[in-house]
Amino acid sequence: MGIADREEQATAELDRLRARVAELESQLLEVEAWANRAVAEAQEKVYWLERWHIDLNALMRKRGANELRAVAVAVRGVYRSLVRAKRRLLARM
Amino acid sequence: MSRFSVVIPVKDGARFLDEVLAAVMREGPGEVLVVDSGSRDGSPAIARRAGADVLEVEPREFAHGRTRNLAAERTRGELICFLTQDATPCEGWLAAYEEAFALDERIGAAYGPHLPRPETSPMVARELEEFFATFSPDGRPRVQGPGDHTFLSNVNACYARRCWEEIRFRDIAYAEDQAFGIDLLARGWLKAYHPGAAVLHAHDYGLLEFMRRYFDEYRGLNLTLGHVERLGIRSTVTHVRRGVSADRRWMAEHGIAGLERARWTARSAAHHGGRKLFSALGSRAERMPPRLRRALSLERGDRPDLPPHAAPAAPDAIAMPSRGHALYEESLEVLREGPAPLLDVPEGLADRARLRIAMVIPPFRRGSGGHNTLMQILLRLERRGHLCTVWVHDHTGELESVWPAVLRRNIREYFAPIEGPVYKGFGAWHGADVVIATGWQTVHPVLRLPGCRARAYLVNDLEPEFYGASTERALAEDTYRHGLHCIAASPWLRDVLRERYGASADAFQLGVDHDTYHPRAVPRRRDSVVYYARPETARRAVPTGLLALAELRRRRPELQITLFGTRGPVLTPFDYRHAGILDGEGLARLYSSATVGLCLSLSNFSLMPKEMLACGLPCVELAGVSAESIFGEDGPIELAPLNPLALADAMERLITDQELWERRSREGIAFVSSHTWEQAADEVEAGLRHALRERERAAAAQP
Repeated sequence: MGIADREEQATAELDRLRARVAELESQLLEVEAWANRAVAEAQEKVYWLERWHIDLNALMRKRGANELRAVAVAVRGVYRSLVRAKRRLLARM
Repeated sequence: MSRFSVVIPVKDGARFLDEVLAAVMREGPGEVLVVDSGSRDGSPAIARRAGADVLEVEPREFAHGRTRNLAAERTRGELICFLTQDATPCEGWLAAYEEAFALDERIGAAYGPHLPRPETSPMVARELEEFFATFSPDGRPRVQGPGDHTFLSNVNACYARRCWEEIRFRDIAYAEDQAFGIDLLARGWLKAYHPGAAVLHAHDYGLLEFMRRYFDEYRGLNLTLGHVERLGIRSTVTHVRRGVSADRRWMAEHGIAGLERARWTARSAAHHGGRKLFSALGSRAERMPPRLRRALSLERGDRPDLPPHAAPAAPDAIAMPSRGHALYEESLEVLREGPAPLLDVPEGLADRARLRIAMVIPPFRRGSGGHNTLMQILLRLERRGHLCTVWVHDHTGELESVWPAVLRRNIREYFAPIEGPVYKGFGAWHGADVVIATGWQTVHPVLRLPGCRARAYLVNDLEPEFYGASTERALAEDTYRHGLHCIAASPWLRDVLRERYGASADAFQLGVDHDTYHPRAVPRRRDSVVYYARPETARRAVPTGLLALAELRRRRPELQITLFGTRGPVLTPFDYRHAGILDGEGLARLYSSATVGLCLSLSNFSLMPKEMLACGLPCVELAGVSAESIFGEDGPIELAPLNPLALADAMERLITDQELWERRSREGIAFVSSHTWEQAADEVEAGLRHALRERERAAAAQP
């Protein structure tokens, strides 16, 4: 292989790498834009929790938290069933 | 006029305040200043009714030392008395202090006894009597010097202004009076105890509050004196037994008998036992988890700015500044490790449409002009498609209890509705194309952030000028020498940064929100001056401005003067309208109704004069500082040197010369019409791209 061929090959390789860097940079921008949006949306959602210094993750790590949550879900299920039943009864009357 | 000023810090003190102020007024002081920190029980109104001046401070800004220093600055008396809101002076109180200071010219502070109120518990009443009796067994005034007890109490104390000016209260959350007592004797001053300078005073808390109060007091003693209270079973039992016996003796002497004595005996045992426990806990508070510390504290204070351990009581011990340790440590880290290496800049990055921009900001409050500028610009950079994040560097710890989502909401509410996320600290740091430092305190941490391609520095003002000869000044100057590309908030500032510090710098012009600031349909007076008088900001030259207004009022007695820009009233030799801190709408109406605006700056030009001009209000500013770099020598603004007479002349010219007034008003509106935040964002964006190009050039120049 001659010098000219080698130079041509090196230039092509360089161009390919540059294109790859540009592609990765573009991906990075997309990922970061997505992450920024996600964090900002999350911050908007958890405003009141943070305002009152409530860390749900820390709360759920406490002993009995999962059981309490299960009980709350069960109570909520019963309550919703009762509300639905009441609506049905009222609709028939 | 009496040479006494009396200062009373108040928070929800309505219960005793009427009585306290009536007793103070009977003593005939020269002035009485009540400093209110967020009372909800009408205390400020009570104080005003009683004829006291009222200074209102934000509750979060209150600290025993800092607030008393502020109050002392606002008074003029040669002798400054401090009382608490529940300390009622007895007859002859000021006369006794007069006598105390006459004992020796080196006396810097004096104090008197705290007498129990009739409803005070026997335990507290006895202790007060016994404690103060130790200072003067024969009941005569005593001078105390080196080797004597350092006790001093701001429940009832009086300070010679000369001494306070030399020493000042330490900026600590508690026991600032005890610290002053130590500092005063260490500096060669004397103090005096006068039994006649008495106040009726008692902390009539419930049992639990009492204990938490002791927790706070012993925490303060630990921080100032290094005191650690011992706690052992035997010593505690002995302490309680002795305390209860002494209380019972005192009750017998004072005619408390039968069931009442039995009831108080039980309470006495709980009191002494609980106090021993909480004192011991308080003096070990710094070793506790913050949450527990807050739960045990009456004031719920958990300020991280307290020094981690006591300064020793040696006379030459220097108290560490209570704020700012983090600053020193970060600058040390930069010295030791150097700045974090910057990443290579890919070709063409400087011209790329979307950049990853991270802005690091110091803590903020509502109304902060500097932060408003930053967020107005960031909002517009976001709208141009740049990926912007905000990083709050809380070097003072003042935002310790504010979580990131709340910070973000506050930024959106106070300044501009940015869309990006807000981070607190750098735990989630993930790099940026350009990281922007925005105040000198943010530069050293920015230098240590990895994963950046360029660093820029948005310089709002010449911050070293905010300090006298000090470490802070040196550190602030140091920030201009680390190679960050500066984007300065005026051509004057840009030139100073280039010429004095050799920094690479561009400039941008502060924008005006023309939707808010335009002439309003309100009647404009022909003899009215509005003055941005913010005494807490030294660079605003408020004393000079007030002298100029006093002179103008002398010449024109009908002149209406309105001061704004600070919450509390300003002491002036003339009467004026106090507008306090106003929002944009309020400011626009104020500017639209006045004849002349006065706004002085000894450093970089601020936004306010531009906003005045936008409302058609001609404005007077200082000549020879920075205004010429924006408006030129004969621009739309009236310039005068830092001289009260010259400033009064300039204002008077605008009031009397209708033609000049109209020309300035017209030219002002025309001049600032092109000064918008969009233009400011253009200039800052160009500065950021310049920072990246400089990095590209530096990389290309490397072999």
